Amino acid sequence: MNADAVVRARAGRRRRIGTVRLLALVAATGFACWLPFQLEQGEIGLYDRMGLYALVAIGLTLLMGFAGQVSLGQGGFFLIGAYTSGLLTMGLDADTRLVDPEAGIDPLLAVAIAPFVSAAIAVLIGIPLMRLRGHYLAFATLAFALIAWSLLYAQDRFTGGQYGVTVTKRLTVGGHEIIGATHAAVVWGLVGIALLLSTNLVTSRTGRALQAVAANEPAAAASGINVARHKLQLFVFAAALAGLAGGLFSFYAQFLGPEDFGIIVSLLFVVMVSIGGLGSVYGAVVGAVTIVYVEHKLRELGTHETLLGWDLPSTGPSILSLGVFGLLLILIMLFFPHGLLPSLLGGVAAVRRRLHGRPRGDI
Amino acid sequence: MTTFFQLVVVGISTGSVFAIVGMSLVLVYRATGIVNFAQGVFAVLAGLLTYSLGKHMSLPLAAVLATLVTAVVATLVAVVAVGIRGRTTHLASLIITVGIAILAEAVLLAAFGEVPRSYSAVSDRAWDIGGVLVQPQYAVLTVVALAAAVGLTLFLRHTIVGQALVASADSPRAAELIGLNLRSVAVIAFAVAGALTAIGGVLLAPTVPVAYSSGLSITINGFAAAVVGGLASIRLALLGGYALGVVEQLVIGYVDPQYNLIIALVVMLVLIGWRSRGELAV
Repeated sequence: MNADAVVRARAGRRRRIGTVRLLALVAATGFACWLPFQLEQGEIGLYDRMGLYALVAIGLTLLMGFAGQVSLGQGGFFLIGAYTSGLLTMGLDADTRLVDPEAGIDPLLAVAIAPFVSAAIAVLIGIPLMRLRGHYLAFATLAFALIAWSLLYAQDRFTGGQYGVTVTKRLTVGGHEIIGATHAAVVWGLVGIALLLSTNLVTSRTGRALQAVAANEPAAAASGINVARHKLQLFVFAAALAGLAGGLFSFYAQFLGPEDFGIIVSLLFVVMVSIGGLGSVYGAVVGAVTIVYVEHKLRELGTHETLLGWDLPSTGPSILSLGVFGLLLILIMLFFPHGLLPSLLGGVAAVRRRLHGRPRGDI
Repeated sequence: MTTFFQLVVVGISTGSVFAIVGMSLVLVYRATGIVNFAQGVFAVLAGLLTYSLGKHMSLPLAAVLATLVTAVVATLVAVVAVGIRGRTTHLASLIITVGIAILAEAVLLAAFGEVPRSYSAVSDRAWDIGGVLVQPQYAVLTVVALAAAVGLTLFLRHTIVGQALVASADSPRAAELIGLNLRSVAVIAFAVAGALTAIGGVLLAPTVPVAYSSGLSITINGFAAAVVGGLASIRLALLGGYALGVVEQLVIGYVDPQYNLIIALVVMLVLIGWRSRGELAV
């Protein structure tokens, strides 16, 4: 077989694997969209939140895995998206405070605008920072998230400050209200699309450049890849996903208050990514689902009067979730820096190899 | 004009704390290459410990004990943050310290509750200088920050341990080749920085009550101060701290108290952006 044929055969095999993967993704997304209609009323909200956070985590894992940069402020982009879409539907009027539903724009349009606002802010922050060492972006994004959060209080005539605001309009598409199970289905459909886009991004020309950047930055730069621009693209993509998730969040909760957007939310996204593995988009979804579920369970646990014989104070839920997530982040980064899930899967594969007696180099 | 000078005086005193934390961050960064996100936690721990211990003993003794305990905690943080040799990258270390900061909030909340704590200052009198009130606590803070800057600079330049700290960050491999133990170096740097930040926290609490969650804003303000010198200069971190403190107070006095953190953060963002012209990654 000449070299050309080998290349063509390889390309064909890659395409076939691509098709199988695509079909699996479509099937999984279909299942994820069907699932909320089978869930009980109380579980739908939790499931919806998993999807929203998964959108944010997918963007962050690409940034952390391929750009070697960590954002401690994805919650800020989530916040911007949520308040952008929520407030746009109410109409902003500086004199009469807000709440003029007639003046607001259509919720669907508002949700569509949200990711662009977050992305624009990411461009502003990202341009000067992408050439710097990781900790600068970490602190800059954290600062941005804190600024956004403080503005909620400083501009309380628009945002309602600590009391928040109720989003009165409902998201409707062609006369159908997107609420409850339908909303969750839409969110998970978007998760599927985000996964597809991300996989394409990773395997495209841009993606190969990104992998080169991740593997060896000076070498990538030497072979003509504009490292800073590629990192910026990832940062903006991640911000846009967070903005989209925030935009949808407005019509999930129909209420916007500062508690849903605190700094801890930004840090939770980092925990989700570290569970799923840096750079693994499917891992990010697993991380989001795990963290939302664990947080929910911890909240239940924390409201008990006593736990294992200890009296729990009223701050129990906070203590439990801060403690567990802090410890989780430390342990994962210490012992499984490439992510908890990939290490576990790697462990399973190693055991299986040993059982079947196959050599290590085998596919 | 009196108002202006009053705000500047208060600004220099709060700025001293930012400077102290900023210099601690610089020390740790120069020795280990790690930006310690949990640095502000040490100030909070020391402040809350002083408050609790102060109920059973004299305040100065409580303050000294609190500082020592915090330095010991800082050595533990060092061991965890440095991580596993050859596996834990600096970015991973940063994320580990983020985890430590989150965990610390839980521990502090469980141990001390959520009420912000304060105790009496070195003196409850104030000097009146041409209408400007200067509390002795402000003077102490400013002097401590200055002394720390001088002390750290001399320590890094003229002592063998200081040189070892700088060397191990400049070239970890070379430092190991000449027999330096990087983990010990990190432990020393974290302990010194932890004790310094603890002193800042002990002196801060009488003027600004500290709560379990204050660590984050202290870390951020300290980082903003340190960024002025690109995380490398003790001197510029000191100046940065003072400047940041004064700017924040002027905003509180003349614009709107709600905007003080926002302005500080915007200043930091601009500074980082400005820094980015000089320093490249990798």
